[in-house]
Amino acid sequence: MAIFILMAFVGGVCVSLSRALNGRLSLATSPLAASLWNHVVGLAVLAAAATALAGGIGGPLALALDRAPATAWIGGPLGVIFVASGSWLISRIGAANTALMVIAGQMVSGVALDLLRGLPVDLPASGAGVALIVAGTWIAQSRRG
Amino acid sequence: MAEPRPAPLLFALAFASGGLLTLMVLFNGQMAEASTPLFSSLAAHGLGTVAALALITALVAAGRMDPGRIARPAPVWAWTGGLSGAVTVMLTSVTVNSALALAGTLALGLLGQVVFGLATDRFGLFGLPRRPADGRDLAALVLILAGSALIVFAPGT
Repeated sequence: MAIFILMAFVGGVCVSLSRALNGRLSLATSPLAASLWNHVVGLAVLAAAATALAGGIGGPLALALDRAPATAWIGGPLGVIFVASGSWLISRIGAANTALMVIAGQMVSGVALDLLRGLPVDLPASGAGVALIVAGTWIAQSRRG
Repeated sequence: MAEPRPAPLLFALAFASGGLLTLMVLFNGQMAEASTPLFSSLAAHGLGTVAALALITALVAAGRMDPGRIARPAPVWAWTGGLSGAVTVMLTSVTVNSALALAGTLALGLLGQVVFGLATDRFGLFGLPRRPADGRDLAALVLILAGSALIVFAPGT
């Protein structure tokens, strides 16, 4: 169990590490260029992993072409904007603030999306969570005027 | 750089990018369900590469981007953001199937992001500006992480 806890924590560390590295690269190039290189390098690593560990991509590709809805193919292009914006923001509002605001936006929009899709939402707990996040976001952004 | 933008606008943009992330998680999750989690991430990076190239080509053609800024000298480690992102995918695809499940993976991941972000700011790591957290930063952090924990561990979700 301890190993899984460590892996999940390091998974989060790598999210912030990736944003900091891309932020540094964007200072030398541009946020969009840093996003391009992030995707090129990630593609190479994941292609190597798929070849070594999962027997290539032929099988899953056939499944995806057969079964995936159209929206399943636009997560990557949206990620280009997401990575570029993180690279741009991190040198302006800091790594912790960027991480916190992205988390806040993800949590609040996640609850909204679940409601829109008619999924079960625990309203007292999620509503209290959203209220705390909005309060924290307000404090964070009002620090410098 | 142009006029410094007011901080509230930058915070709003970062918050909005979290909404973008929710859509990415939804769409990449659809792909993972149709195929495999590893293929979903691979396809997202492949299609992201194509989209970034198309966008850069369009901006350069329109005279809105200097092609000299696509690749310029930077420390070798600065090019490894994509490696770090790929490691996240591999780690979390293991832990969501462990006893931690999705909620535990998410909660620990949020903690890891914030702890590492604080360390980056505190010591000015990776050539980014030093920006030690103050009391209000920490108050915001506690509220946002507590609210996130309530949502992630809400019963029935």
